[in-house]
Amino acid sequence: MTSLATSRGAAGRAARRTRPGAGATRPGFVWALPAAVFFLLFALTPLLLVVVLSFTSWDGIGEPRFNGLDNWTALIHDPVMLQSIWTTLLLTVLGVVTQTPVSILLGVWAAGRQRNRAVLSAIYFVPLLLSATAVSVVWRAVLDPNFGVPAELTWLFGDGNLLGTRSGAIGVLTFVGVWQFTPLHALIYQGGARAIPQVLYQAAAVDGAGRVRQFFHITLPQLRNTVITSMILMVVGGLTTFDTVLILTQGGPGNDTTVTAYYMYQKAFKGFDFGVGSAIALVLVVVATLISLVVVRVSGYDKMRGTTEGL
Amino acid sequence: MRSRLAAVTAVTALVLGTSAACGSSDSSSDAGAGTIHVLVYGDAGNKVEKQIVETFNKTSKVKAVLDTVPGADYQQKLQTVINSSRAPDVFFNWGGGSIQPFVKADLLLPLDDFIAKDPGLKDNFLPSVFNSAVIDGKAYGVPMRGTQPVLLFHNKKVLADAGLTPPKTWDELVAATKALKAKGVTPISLGGGDQWPTMMWFEYLYDRIAGPGLFQKALGGDREAWASEDSRKALDTLKQLVDSGAFGSTYDSVKFTDGGSPALVAKGKAAFELMGSWYYSTQQDANPDFAKSGLGYSAFPSLSGGKGDPADVVGNTNNFYSVLKKTKHPEAAAAFLKLMYSEDFVKAQLAIGNLPTTTNTLDHLDLSASPGYSKDQYQLVKAAPSFQLSWDQAYPPSAMTPMHTAVQQFFDGRLDADGFIKAMQALPTS
Amino acid sequence: MRRRPNVLAGFGSLVWLVLVGLPLYVLLIATFRTRADYSTEGPLGLPAQWTVQNYLTDLSSGFGQDFLNTLTVTAGVVAIVLLVVPPLSYAIVRARGRATGWVFRLFLLGLAIPAQAVIVPMFYVISKTGLYDHLIGVILPTAAFCLPVCTLVLTGAMRDIGPELYEAMAMDGASPARVFRQLVLPMSKGGLASITVFAALQAWNGFLFPLILTQSESTKVVTLGLYEFQTEHGVDVPGLLSAVVLSMLPVLVVYLFARRALVQGLTGVGGK
Repeated sequence: MTSLATSRGAAGRAARRTRPGAGATRPGFVWALPAAVFFLLFALTPLLLVVVLSFTSWDGIGEPRFNGLDNWTALIHDPVMLQSIWTTLLLTVLGVVTQTPVSILLGVWAAGRQRNRAVLSAIYFVPLLLSATAVSVVWRAVLDPNFGVPAELTWLFGDGNLLGTRSGAIGVLTFVGVWQFTPLHALIYQGGARAIPQVLYQAAAVDGAGRVRQFFHITLPQLRNTVITSMILMVVGGLTTFDTVLILTQGGPGNDTTVTAYYMYQKAFKGFDFGVGSAIALVLVVVATLISLVVVRVSGYDKMRGTTEGL
Repeated sequence: MRSRLAAVTAVTALVLGTSAACGSSDSSSDAGAGTIHVLVYGDAGNKVEKQIVETFNKTSKVKAVLDTVPGADYQQKLQTVINSSRAPDVFFNWGGGSIQPFVKADLLLPLDDFIAKDPGLKDNFLPSVFNSAVIDGKAYGVPMRGTQPVLLFHNKKVLADAGLTPPKTWDELVAATKALKAKGVTPISLGGGDQWPTMMWFEYLYDRIAGPGLFQKALGGDREAWASEDSRKALDTLKQLVDSGAFGSTYDSVKFTDGGSPALVAKGKAAFELMGSWYYSTQQDANPDFAKSGLGYSAFPSLSGGKGDPADVVGNTNNFYSVLKKTKHPEAAAAFLKLMYSEDFVKAQLAIGNLPTTTNTLDHLDLSASPGYSKDQYQLVKAAPSFQLSWDQAYPPSAMTPMHTAVQQFFDGRLDADGFIKAMQALPTS
Repeated sequence: MRRRPNVLAGFGSLVWLVLVGLPLYVLLIATFRTRADYSTEGPLGLPAQWTVQNYLTDLSSGFGQDFLNTLTVTAGVVAIVLLVVPPLSYAIVRARGRATGWVFRLFLLGLAIPAQAVIVPMFYVISKTGLYDHLIGVILPTAAFCLPVCTLVLTGAMRDIGPELYEAMAMDGASPARVFRQLVLPMSKGGLASITVFAALQAWNGFLFPLILTQSESTKVVTLGLYEFQTEHGVDVPGLLSAVVLSMLPVLVVYLFARRALVQGLTGVGGK
């Protein structure tokens, strides 16, 4: 009860620092324990183990044996490793660049309360319901050069050699990314756009600002935090692209779409070199964390307060 | 609000309810004494494996349990369990490199003792096939399915329309591709998206030009073999064929596994396809009419001046059963392996379109769904001085991805001969 | 204030409708073609001969088992999440002391760990503990990787409970357990619905963990079934696409009946 007394007695800043309702009976640390232990066991321990395994040689048959820096020297001299990082970054950047504008437009459009928009939105968001596996399977069939859409729309697709060239395969992966992820981000923008106070628009309309002007001068600036949230999700998603690559391109043609996550899978689970696989995984974690940190710092996301501000 | 929550709860309840009902449907019945677990690749061919297990269980005290691993990830899953408590006693494999790591880790039982007791376990099989599961002079596997040599298939009508006959020599093949191209047909269908069909072209050209020795040397660790003159000549010959447009331009977007490349041949959009002997049943499945009357096949053409015997074949010699050293019931395993040359086995395999490689197969070929096709194949395999196991099966599993990448990049022009040679030299050999 | 119709937006939305609709149309229509027709008819026209055989074949060839497995995994993941996350969020919002703050930061850190990064050690741990090829071996890591987002969402929802309500209960001398049961849980129903849906979707659509951590027919989940359908020799494309449609049906039902919770679960926003 002493805390109650102080919080009541002190004014201003001191009172704000203590949480409101400080006097009620409070749960102990024990309440957090089950989740903490569980998370420690199944998410953080493996993360530590990946560091250990990256210094071992393990083929899955025997036991891991320490081999010092062998995996790391092998990776440094491995041209595919570096190429996979570039491919991953390229796909991530392409993903952000293509998905962001489409999602903003779609989200702002869907934020309108018109009846037809509500109905159409329901259809627009259907890709959300499909697993990445299902999305890849469907597009594989749709884009088949002999039995898919390219066979009928030759004026658009030419000979249909979409997955046979580097630019084609990267284009397909980017496009499928837009198809798959835009609905999710559009939903986020829809929420953001609906939170913009209508007064702003009414004031602008009084000033005679047209729709386009309103979009650029009110909607976009107001969505700033939403853009950051959505971009962070896109970046993390882009860096860990795996399912679509596995099913649509298998890293091909050649190594052209071998992204880092897929390369890790190839090395570890196709080539049975789990040590090198772990090292690649670690590179992925480091790259992902670095980029997330940069995005967070540059955008000022970490300065945002509250849980809904960025959404 | 209320109804939304109700819906969510309802779904959750449904989910929880069903799971409670089917919570414990696991297959971990290892505890029962006197069983051997047989692990096989899960596909349509399992019918025979099931039947053989049933036959075995009728007489044996030790019961066999068949476990299947579905899909293309068999090798990966095998590697995963083979040294664990869930390891099988007997397992399906491709011989060669697919079991080499296990031999190296001393996990497999050499079958020499079994063979000493029952010489039939060796003598009843075609030697060229049996040998692909012999490692360092010891036998580690017994053939357990059908042989799958790679043949050059064609669409009879397309060839006839162009006034062509199946090519006997490489020059004839090259001439045929030119004639077909002029007629607007893709000369050769290739499922390049799968990568391994592309590799088959390398396997045959290396054999025809350099003979089987070059690859054996390379596999044995002699990296210079890849840089030899014969190797370059094979690459050169192949490159010319690719550059002439014989495979069309979209082969890397096409797959065999999703039915793309076989459909091109069946629909007359392409003339040839180089593929394993399972091609016949693939076509039968997808395009039955074409398989019946329009599908032709021939051996891979000979190449003048080449060192390889034109009778050599490449492909999957057969699949094998290997036995783990730590099995508790080696006698039962031996008895189980003996069934692999039984008449029942041969008949059952023939009935589902497989071609077993036992010496008594010849007596039953009339039972095959397509006797003519089976006889031709059997003679081809029996007469072959060399039956080269597919490259990706001969090398250890870790070589597979870089090898597939290299063959694809060579076809794409992303790797030149030097680049390809370098890539092959970098492969782990053991 | 009436506005003139927005022609540009209308046009743009039509383009998107085509982009979304076309593949879905091709998907749906292909499932009603016979296998033979699929390779002769184009993908866009209506089937000359309609059939539901593809669906029947799927259902009779083990896809039902895959469904049950996916349901089991989904139920398990949701159960774990609902068991551990609410107490944690409650503690984060209400507990004193540094420890809970650290736990919260730990979970925030967890947001950045991609599942691919830990799949190798996960495989090691799961196979060493004998959970390999058991559904529980899929459930545990999948649930663990749901925790950060779920915690974030539910904590957000619980923060919105007014302090005066806690104080009122404190006056009555309520224990933390009673506060949790009578105040916190009822007041964060929206958040609970959101994390339920989020966890369920993660489990339902999960692919990497089942791909690596299971192998048998008896432990195969739906996504894996689709993938293996794709890689076996001689794929029956209409059959495969029917399987895709079947796999999304349950989610579609949830979408129709609990759209808001689904949307909130998807975007990770605490619902109110």
